Amino acid sequence: MGGMQDLLEGHEPHEFRQRFKTLFILVTVALSILVIRLWYLQIIKGDELKQRSENNSVRLRKIKQLRGLIMDTNGYVLVDNRPSFDILFVPNRIKNIHDVVKKLNYLYAERAITFSTNLPSAKKVKRFVPAELEKNISREKLAIVETHALDLPGVAVEVNSVRQYLAGEMMAHVLGYTGEICQEELGKNTSDEYSIGDTIGKYGLDKYFDRYLKGKSGAKQVEVNVRGQEIKVIGKIEPVPGYNMVLTIDSYLQKIAWEAMKDRAGSVVVMDPRDGSILSMVSAPSFDPNLFSGGISFEDWEKLSSDPRHPMENRAISGQYPPGSTYKLIVAAAALEEGLITPETKFFCPGSFELGNRTYQCWQKKGHGWVNLHRAIVESCDVYFYNLGKLIGVDKLARYARGFGFGAVTGTDLPREKSGLIPTKEWKLTKFGEPWQMGETISVSIGQGFNSVTAIQLLNAYCALANGGTLWRPRIVKRIETGDGRPFKTFNPEKKSSLPISRKNIDILNYALWGVVNERGGTGYAARRAEADVCGKTGTAQVIGMPEDRKARRKKIIPSRLRDHALFVCFAPYKNPEIAVAVIVEHAGHGGTVAAPIAKKIIDAYFKLKVTTQVQGSGFIAF
Amino acid sequence: MKFDRRLFLNFDWTLLILVLLISSIGLLNIYSTGYSLADFKQSHLYIKQVQWIFIGLACMGVAFCIDYRLISGYAYIIYAFSLLLLIGVFLYGDAAHGSQRWIVIGGFSFQPSELVKLTMILALARYFDVHKTDKGYSLRELFVPFLIVVIPFLFILKQPDLGTALILVILFLSIVLFVGVEWKSLLCAAAGCVVLIPVGWHFLKDYQKERIVTFFSPEKDFLGSGYHIIQSIIAVGSGQILGKGFLKGTQTQLKFLPVQQTDFVFSVFSEEWGFLGGLILIIMFLILVLWCLKIGLHARDMVGTLISFGITMLIFWEVFINIGMVLGMLPVVGIPLPFLSYGGSSIVVLLTGIGLLMSISMRRFILRP
Repeated sequence: MGGMQDLLEGHEPHEFRQRFKTLFILVTVALSILVIRLWYLQIIKGDELKQRSENNSVRLRKIKQLRGLIMDTNGYVLVDNRPSFDILFVPNRIKNIHDVVKKLNYLYAERAITFSTNLPSAKKVKRFVPAELEKNISREKLAIVETHALDLPGVAVEVNSVRQYLAGEMMAHVLGYTGEICQEELGKNTSDEYSIGDTIGKYGLDKYFDRYLKGKSGAKQVEVNVRGQEIKVIGKIEPVPGYNMVLTIDSYLQKIAWEAMKDRAGSVVVMDPRDGSILSMVSAPSFDPNLFSGGISFEDWEKLSSDPRHPMENRAISGQYPPGSTYKLIVAAAALEEGLITPETKFFCPGSFELGNRTYQCWQKKGHGWVNLHRAIVESCDVYFYNLGKLIGVDKLARYARGFGFGAVTGTDLPREKSGLIPTKEWKLTKFGEPWQMGETISVSIGQGFNSVTAIQLLNAYCALANGGTLWRPRIVKRIETGDGRPFKTFNPEKKSSLPISRKNIDILNYALWGVVNERGGTGYAARRAEADVCGKTGTAQVIGMPEDRKARRKKIIPSRLRDHALFVCFAPYKNPEIAVAVIVEHAGHGGTVAAPIAKKIIDAYFKLKVTTQVQGSGFIAF
Repeated sequence: MKFDRRLFLNFDWTLLILVLLISSIGLLNIYSTGYSLADFKQSHLYIKQVQWIFIGLACMGVAFCIDYRLISGYAYIIYAFSLLLLIGVFLYGDAAHGSQRWIVIGGFSFQPSELVKLTMILALARYFDVHKTDKGYSLRELFVPFLIVVIPFLFILKQPDLGTALILVILFLSIVLFVGVEWKSLLCAAAGCVVLIPVGWHFLKDYQKERIVTFFSPEKDFLGSGYHIIQSIIAVGSGQILGKGFLKGTQTQLKFLPVQQTDFVFSVFSEEWGFLGGLILIIMFLILVLWCLKIGLHARDMVGTLISFGITMLIFWEVFINIGMVLGMLPVVGIPLPFLSYGGSSIVVLLTGIGLLMSISMRRFILRP
């Protein structure tokens, strides 16, 4: 009987009897204390506390903060805040929202203004919870509401601040836009940093640097009367405005670039090759970011999001294009560095190139004759590079392309940057399950085929050539500072890597780039300045399928616009370059004729500005 | 396992009815907290709570069907399992409101820290049952129990969840004092605590320090937790004798109260049902606690006594600390009100605990096989 034995061993429940008795008493006493406290609060202090709850005197109100400003490199304000007047309905005593709306409508109608927003349905209006009637009203409406305040019980005007983008669509893609925080964004930020009704950056720098720009809301505890009006402020915590941001963008250059691009589709990026600072970034077509401030209307949103030209896309970092002939420099670099050619190695260009039973054309049908590397770059001879491509092979070429920063994001502080594509044999095998064809190497060696790059990658690669071999991380924000201008965080130039080619070879290539613009027969002659100091390379990227894709081409419904993309990348001056420009114009034809003049305009403006700044000691006011 | 017919005859109907009554009051109350909230999602919390209660009742059923002695035999394994879950949360958990407490299983999120409360009681009961003594435990003998508590305690503190961590400590102290400690050891431990308190203060998070400071001077921080206490007191007091009526509490409906579905449910209840409602609810809790203590007193064996004592103390301390906090008598620490606060983990664990109590209650006349 093991059980019986257990019962006799050690101490058993009955030994706890005394302890249980004590516990009964302790528990009863403890809970009685709660009852006494409840009695004290509800019976003794009941009237007083009831009064307090009924007056509902104490309310916690949020004080919204101001978002930080964004300024260009010279301190000109690009983004600030402006007041927005919103009409609220506070259903306190007057419960019927429709009477109030009717009255408002009537007052509006007297001046022939219409009520703009959709009404909240009566069901949705909850007691004591303010309902938004109209946001961001005009001054005219504000005047009506203010003057008839007594006839409009329950209607209150609330002043909020909304974002104002002074540069408008000129810089929409860089600066971004803001809007009210949505459920999804709230879900992502479980910390108490954000709450319903907050403004949050949705795109561009306003999004990327939201944590610096947003600031911190304040709050006040106020005593209010039955109509919800403040009687007395009991306590207050001041809101903290967001930090200001100073960009590397020069709004003057930005304006020049925008003016040149605004009726086209494409992008322009301007950079200082000495440290990777972005001086200008334009993407066209664009949109007005001010539409989003204070809530975008449904029609506007529909229009923007369904526009086939995708105005919301930042083409400078998200637009991926075949690099066309601008890619020849990478091919040349690879061939030189691998020792496959010397600058004097010549190939004969009869106007076409045979591989197997296929023929690849040179853009110059009558051919370039015998050309060396320099002339091949200057005249952009395709056949020369077909030969180089065949010598190098696609995988080795890809290694150099990566060395120039292609195939990976450059790391700008802007959302949605794309990485482009540098094909390799292995990539094709995993992607399509087919082996690489020699013919594809031929296409790749003139920047067509699977190759795709972004404008910023292209520019960054050429900047590295310009500065003698350093790849910088493109920098668009110079520093973040406090409201009174004290620096809070400074973003120093950041070196990413060095080009995988020797200084000697870089000099050979740069001289060829100089020739492209300044020598007779150069494809970039349109960018030539009197000072003869621009170096660059043109490119024309085929939009439609490559020759070897003939089958695909037949199947494809050929788009209405068949014209090629025009590309031009350049830097100046030849010695110690300080500005580099990449221009991509979609469906515009030849790079030398369309893109090069745009780049020239910007470079001209840059040097003109430099002279005036030196003379007057101050910059140019852009707007 | 043979199922004894006497088990049904001895089924503890009083306990079941009492718990169901309190849970129903809780449901009505949660319905009220969600009533005026503009947020669609939250206003349906009571439906989720019903689901949780049913899950809890199922667990309760399982708990009272199995002989608690059998469960106690596996106490350490069950405890280790809950610890693993806790560590799982620590590594992969889902963060909400700035702390990492949840594990998501098939759409339901669960707090292992709630489960640990129960498994820790089981493990301690097992330990003290195996290591019996007549003259009170010495510090050395208390080392293992101390470990049983301190491991989950540290993980929970790290989450951070001060309330639950605190409950673990209080439960530990309650159980240790109940089983008896040598006087010498008790004095040593007390002295050690006095030394360790300033060190512990150093490890608290800022918001936790703030809460404790606020408790002693609520007017100082009128926007933060001080505001919560003041608003809670206004809500309770304004209920007066009979309350403002169901769904009519202005403090509640105007959302003056913080976390009103969880930690501050009692102020919602008092505002709408007044002193009378509050009194009845507290009396129901008192009956529940005394009834559960009685189960411990009449338990057949030592393990039964210890398990039921632990669970009873869990309920008692949570009720006492939560209501004390809502009434402004204790600092604001996140401790739910049993059966009333919204929260699946809490209700499932508590109902499982009640199931264990039922098991102990109905097996009190049966000898071990």
